[in-house]
Amino acid sequence: MSLQSDFYQLLKEQGYVFGVLGQAARGHELTTATTILAFRYRDGVLVAGDRRATAGNMVMYDRTDKVLEIDRHSVMAIAGVPATAYEMARILEHSFKYFRRTQLQELSFEGKLRALSKLLKDNVPAALAGTGAVVPIFAGYDFEQETAKIYFYDILGAEFEGVDYAVSGSGSPTIRGILHYVNTWGEQPLSAMPEEQATVQALRLLTSAAEFDSATGGVNREAGLYPVIKFITASGVRTMPDVQLKPLFEAKVSRHV
Amino acid sequence: MYEEPYKWVEAVGNRRTYLDEQFKEGAPVVGVTCERGTLLMTMSKGTPKLYEIYDRLALGGMGHPADLEKLRFNLLEMAHVEGFNRSASDVTGGRLVKYGMAPAIKQAFEEVFKAPFIVKILLAELGQKAGKDGFLTINYDGTFEEKSQYAVLAATSAVEQKMAGYLREQSLASLADAVGAAIRTWAVGDRAQRRALDEGEGHDEARTDPAQQATDAETLYAYLRRCIAEKTVECVLLDRHVQGPSKYRALGGDELKTLLPNELSPLPS
Repeated sequence: MSLQSDFYQLLKEQGYVFGVLGQAARGHELTTATTILAFRYRDGVLVAGDRRATAGNMVMYDRTDKVLEIDRHSVMAIAGVPATAYEMARILEHSFKYFRRTQLQELSFEGKLRALSKLLKDNVPAALAGTGAVVPIFAGYDFEQETAKIYFYDILGAEFEGVDYAVSGSGSPTIRGILHYVNTWGEQPLSAMPEEQATVQALRLLTSAAEFDSATGGVNREAGLYPVIKFITASGVRTMPDVQLKPLFEAKVSRHV
Repeated sequence: MYEEPYKWVEAVGNRRTYLDEQFKEGAPVVGVTCERGTLLMTMSKGTPKLYEIYDRLALGGMGHPADLEKLRFNLLEMAHVEGFNRSASDVTGGRLVKYGMAPAIKQAFEEVFKAPFIVKILLAELGQKAGKDGFLTINYDGTFEEKSQYAVLAATSAVEQKMAGYLREQSLASLADAVGAAIRTWAVGDRAQRRALDEGEGHDEARTDPAQQATDAETLYAYLRRCIAEKTVECVLLDRHVQGPSKYRALGGDELKTLLPNELSPLPS
């Protein structure tokens, strides 16, 4: 007897195989995506990501959405191989919906974390073979603890709580230091920042990452391309529209670049 | 014994009589569309009868709770696997019913050595655009019908026709209109079923009392006030205005109180 609530198991029973097995071909550069970050601000958690996907030195795409809304209260930000990451996001999205609809209750936040961990664990052979490494950040609202939380993972599926912030992707070493500095010696800790200030901070961080990491796309004002920034609070996930990012960037970010 | 065709026909006939009997005391289900989306409404005692199936699909059912659960799980499996393998846009009520659910129910109904599904199903679908919303009903023998604007489930087709006739004359523009029309239609159906039960038990006054036939709003509200005291109003909406892909939400608490006709307030908490 089972509770019939596991969508991933249901897929596997129907012959679905997750994870691209095989060795990366020599000289072939896989598409990867960077940089992502999340931090706690006054009202919840902010999750942001740049828009660039690269394959070696090649810019593959400048409109990538790396901050994916999995359900009304959770977000997965992706760094690594987008093919695998998007597949993981699709499985998670359907798994959470399937659980809610079969069991008539939301999957707990811990259950959601565990679901991503299981996918990463199943993806280890592909990650080690070099064909599918994904290093995501998962953030969501935990209704049991009545707070928004951030978790980051390694490629083997271990989960770690980012109490104040978490970063991932090739631009992350640059901004990790800045986040530590701002959070420790800034005028106020990140968790005290109101939404607008947190947004400015995220834009500045991603601009800094783009300055030092060629795989991170900054803001492209000519094309009107801004990072993706989402907020998670008790009332759900909300995306900051570009029309609001543009004036903030021009007033509080670009004049310092 | 069922190798002989007429015996099989007789067995299926007996099964129909048996199944009709099972729905006599079931709660009707009403589905209506309005500007805001697609609404399902019923009243239940304990076990819920309205469910979310997929992003734009909701289910209402009558019958045995275990059979309804089994078919609900089948629908959920089909919808989610299809939505994952293809796209949410490919998960339509029509496909799920015509190529999944209806053939399975028909097969169970005709296999006279096995137990049939004691269910009637109403599947509500929110279209991609206003005006494209719809309903599908499936009877216990696998017969299905597609409807737009509104659909109902009740113990017998006579009661369903009476409910549909009442609903046809109601305004369904706003969400409050739709909720009001749905709950009054539910009362029309439930009263008709009760009357049929009373007639079956030989209460002649049920047949002759004109008060029992009335469908004026005041009479229906009086009946509903009695029902609400002992049952729970279930109301779900596939809400066109909800952000994100999943459009299903249950109407409850204060929101439902404000949407129900004033004649029914205050609702028991």
